[in-house]
Amino acid sequence: MPKIIIDGHTIECRSGIPVLQAALEAGLAVPHYCYHPGLSVVASCRLCLMEMKMPNPKTGQMDWAPKLFPSCQTPVRDGLEVRFRSDPVRENQQHVMEYYLLNHPLDCPVCDKAGECYLQDYTEANGPATSRMVEDKTKNPKKDIGPHTLLYQDRCVLCSRCVRFCDEIAGTGELAVVGRGSRCEIDVLPGQPLENPLQGNVVDLCPVGALLDKGFLFKQRVWLLRSARSVSPADSRGQTIWIDYNEAGIHRIRPRYNEKINEWWISDEARFGWKHVHRPDRLRQPRIRQGVALQPARWEELPGLLRAPFAGVAACASPAGPGGGARLAQPPSLLGRGQGEGQGIGPLAAVLSPMLTCEEAWLLAKLARSLAPQATLVLGHVPVSGHDQTYPNGFTIKAEKCPNRRGVETILQHLGGPTASFQEFLAQAVEGRFRAAYVTGGYPDAWVTDPVAAALARIPFLVVHDLFPSALDGAAAVQIPGAAWTEREGTFMNCDGLLQPFERALPPLEGVKADGQFFYELLGQPGLFRAQTVRETMAAELPQFSEVFIPRDLPKRAH
Amino acid sequence: MRDDDIIVLKEPELTPAERLYLPQILDGLKTTLRHMFDLQRRHAVVHQYPEQTREDTGELRTANYHGVHRLNKDPDGRVACVACFMCSTACPAHCIHIEAGESPWPDREKYPVQFDIDELRCIYCGLCEEACPVDAIELTPLYELVSCTREELILDKEKLLQIYEETKGIKPRRNPPVTDYGLTGTQGLDVAEPNMKRKV
Amino acid sequence: MTDPTIKRIETVLRKPAVIFGAGAAILLLVTALLALAFPLYKPLLSSQFSFSMIVLAVMLVLILSATALCILFERKIAGFTQDRYGPNRVGFWGLLQPVADGLKFLLKEDIIPRHVDKPLFLLAPALALAASLLGFAIIPWAGQVRWPWMPPDAPPLSTQVANLNVGFLYLLAVGSLSVYGVVLAGYASNNKYAFYGGMRAAAQMISYELPLGLGLLVVLLVSGTLQLDQIVQQQAATGVWNIFLHPIAFFLVLVSALAEANRAPFDLPEAEQELVGGYHTEYSAMKFAMFFLGEYAHMITSSALIVALFFGGWHFWGLPGPENVTWWAMLIKLAVYLTKVALFIALFMLVRWTLPRFRFDQLMRVAWQSLVPIGVALLAATAALTYLGWQRNVWASLAANLLLLAVLLRSAARSKRPVTARQEDLPEIDVRPTT
Ligand code: SF4
Ligand code: SF4
Ligand code: SF4
Ligand code: FES
Repeated sequence: MPKIIIDGHTIECRSGIPVLQAALEAGLAVPHYCYHPGLSVVASCRLCLMEMKMPNPKTGQMDWAPKLFPSCQTPVRDGLEVRFRSDPVRENQQHVMEYYLLNHPLDCPVCDKAGECYLQDYTEANGPATSRMVEDKTKNPKKDIGPHTLLYQDRCVLCSRCVRFCDEIAGTGELAVVGRGSRCEIDVLPGQPLENPLQGNVVDLCPVGALLDKGFLFKQRVWLLRSARSVSPADSRGQTIWIDYNEAGIHRIRPRYNEKINEWWISDEARFGWKHVHRPDRLRQPRIRQGVALQPARWEELPGLLRAPFAGVAACASPAGPGGGARLAQPPSLLGRGQGEGQGIGPLAAVLSPMLTCEEAWLLAKLARSLAPQATLVLGHVPVSGHDQTYPNGFTIKAEKCPNRRGVETILQHLGGPTASFQEFLAQAVEGRFRAAYVTGGYPDAWVTDPVAAALARIPFLVVHDLFPSALDGAAAVQIPGAAWTEREGTFMNCDGLLQPFERALPPLEGVKADGQFFYELLGQPGLFRAQTVRETMAAELPQFSEVFIPRDLPKRAH
Repeated sequence: MRDDDIIVLKEPELTPAERLYLPQILDGLKTTLRHMFDLQRRHAVVHQYPEQTREDTGELRTANYHGVHRLNKDPDGRVACVACFMCSTACPAHCIHIEAGESPWPDREKYPVQFDIDELRCIYCGLCEEACPVDAIELTPLYELVSCTREELILDKEKLLQIYEETKGIKPRRNPPVTDYGLTGTQGLDVAEPNMKRKV
Repeated sequence: MTDPTIKRIETVLRKPAVIFGAGAAILLLVTALLALAFPLYKPLLSSQFSFSMIVLAVMLVLILSATALCILFERKIAGFTQDRYGPNRVGFWGLLQPVADGLKFLLKEDIIPRHVDKPLFLLAPALALAASLLGFAIIPWAGQVRWPWMPPDAPPLSTQVANLNVGFLYLLAVGSLSVYGVVLAGYASNNKYAFYGGMRAAAQMISYELPLGLGLLVVLLVSGTLQLDQIVQQQAATGVWNIFLHPIAFFLVLVSALAEANRAPFDLPEAEQELVGGYHTEYSAMKFAMFFLGEYAHMITSSALIVALFFGGWHFWGLPGPENVTWWAMLIKLAVYLTKVALFIALFMLVRWTLPRFRFDQLMRVAWQSLVPIGVALLAATAALTYLGWQRNVWASLAANLLLLAVLLRSAARSKRPVTARQEDLPEIDVRPTT
């Protein structure tokens, strides 16, 4: 570990990083635009310059060099001595800031970046309060450079981060710096808009408000948002994200640095994968079939209503008919003799969706097994689209579009007993093997295809726990509204077996109960569902769940 | 602020009599009594509203009275607000609700689609006025704020603009600070044409 | 804007002639009616029991209307001390404001929230008012009277509703009852602010009951009787009011009376800055008004009591004394008594508009660390004086009081902190757990 000396303080740092990165990690507020740890270094913004001690060519002794060096381009080496809090450095920052402000419009009031803008922060810290420029500022209208992104050219500081991102990370190279001098600007080629599946990252990358997201445009000011640490359910890789929300709901999703998975980036799927949370047709009330129609029910009566028929179905191998479920259209006694017992498959099935968290899947599986030891546990529908896509620097978008298949599988493997894949389950359901099933969904998109609906319709007592109305509504005896992942807490196990916790951002929709809380109550547990507590009990049986991975936070004032 | 800017005050030592608290009570009573019998002062200070108003006596400070809000218009008669949310951020009573949108005018970016102020929640502190970068929101000298229902006193954009029309005579809009948005209007730069057009 | 008829009525009512004319007319009418009906109730006037009943009725009416007027008076004083006019819209000088207020209270929506304990919620305001009125029973309003038509050797009638032998004890008992209404209101409202208010009231009452009792005990030692009318007669006979004997005891009783009436600076139970409205947060309309009236009634009772105990009741030098039991002397005595009470009420109000409210810890400290020790010391001194037979000796008593004051000053000087010291000024308590 090399040691460098900044302003007389010795700092131990990782080897191979630039001085700037070391200073940032040590908590120094070094202004910088063009440097980004995930991109190549160009040292073009000239804000990060520092004084450095170099061998004096005349005397051969170490001496403060007369000119400043870009700290982003100087790798650390043991014993390197730099000065950051010194007059030449500060002067340089002031001059450079004045230069950046020459043409920058004064439109912080209408700029979405205000509040998290580097230019704002640096101007406040070092910049001039007035401008010496007597000419009019260059005006450059906004450009529509892609389906999701706007470019406000006059706000650009030409750090070229966005260009380098498209070249190096996405590998698509849509953006380029065109023109020279004061007419220099960022642009796309005609007919080639910015639309690669990672393009949203340029908005986060841009240190100023030049690149903005159309979806977030003018919606909120960033200081009115709170952020929750979350994990994206968009694919099975488990990209870590910040959910920015306030009382009005979610407003945007930003990448959360994760050295093991997604580093500084996220895919557009993850970035825009929250829209379904606010879809107006979300289920908002548990409903029970009475006669032909589903009628609203109260949450309090659900545990009794579900446990009795499930227990009844489980016990119906014995000749005595099961009791309970008085409000149900089909009295459980009518559910008839089972056909499945012979094969060792219970007449009760629980379908654990890969959208469930590990804790929820665990609770539901436990519940099913506590009601019927031979209950069949099924891994729910795993949505897959296309192939895995890997980008030049290794960023991968998985084809599997659910966050927790691996977690549910781990739990199923551990619990043993009758288990089935979703396809097997459907086949058996068509044969009429199951008399009751608890089916969980929670997918952002419609997932109930006609064969699925037809197969599940054969199950007499079908409980559907899902976010949206679907073709299953006609078959369900009980319909339970689910909470979106932003409204729950728990852990997802990604495709590589990495267990990552996430926080709740929003409260569940009015009238909806968080899934974990509901399973908790079904199990007859007192109090509130806390993912951490459940995880601890799980870990007693399954050591995989004893440790979660939480990526380290980035140093403040650095992307 | 430096440490030596902080002045540390010691609580003054009290005399034994002060510690008994009684002389202070008597002192206080003396003050109250003095005011009770100060008829002249009372007549000078009190206004017999509604027969007598501050407008009549010329004592109403129209420039800085903290009354009902208004939303100013720019020289082209459009709402001057750029929907920056500064006022609602500054508002300690959380009584300003704004919904922003893309403006229908080529020379402006953002404008308030909806702008509501709950005048019953407002504490008339004027912080919104202080916060506004384009001096679009201002408190007027109107103080007779009455209605039959609470809902009527949640003023929307139209109402606030109308108040501007009513009060611009007694309180003209201040000169907005020089931002590109304060001086908007077709007499500003034609930004629809890119890049280099400059005023001479 | 306003209806012109209403405007006209308003203008008419604002003319002093109208108000005072109407007042005089009503007074004349009542006097004429009373004079006409004189033969009817003349026999009633001669027996002590029926006479007491008449006193009761008359004083009740007087006091209830006085409480209403008190509110106006309070608002006027508040206005004056703050360089305002106070209410001056309804009637000349705002004199009809109580009527308007009463009407308003009657017409307001009477809300009973769903979450309250209904019977207690309804009971509390009635209790608060009734308990404050109970004290009036033993106030010796105007000494004794013998009507001209009564035989000269007949025992004179007492102008007291009930001349209780245990007058003092009754006062103490009934006085502390008034907090009952407040505590009940706080409890029944099922609202945290109200509950805090009620709890504060209870704690305050318990704390200030002690100095009050100690102050009263001093008077008891001096006068040697529990009967209020005798205490007044003693003062009248000697011409030495108890205040001259025991100013410190008077101060104790005054402070405690303020506290018991929940008046500023002791109005913590309803401290609106902290507790919304304290115990009456959930009350509206007439029920709220009853708390209001109760507070003022309590204030009048306390004033009447202090006047009787320390200021010679109806006695004033140069005016008819106890031996003069004619009916006109009675009227003069009554007038003297009421004047003194009015002055006290004015003092109470002035104090309210002068002093800021205590903080709760200060309130407690004033009671337990200052008033109670002073009371105990004073009681010991008075006991000593009584033992020596000097209890009504002005010079001896004053000397004792002065000595006590000197001791107080000395200890105040040594303690280096005001009675209202802050919590952080107190020595730290060792809170380490004992093993
Ligand atoms: S658009 Fe933003 S990221 Fe791209 S060069 Fe300009 S300032 Fe840098
Ligand atoms: S005056 Fe104060 S309280 Fe009222 S809207 Fe403005 S900032 Fe909010
Ligand atoms: S501060 Fe001014 S410009 Fe900004 S939203 Fe409020 S009124 Fe509009
Ligand atoms: S020159 Fe170093 S960060 Fe731009």
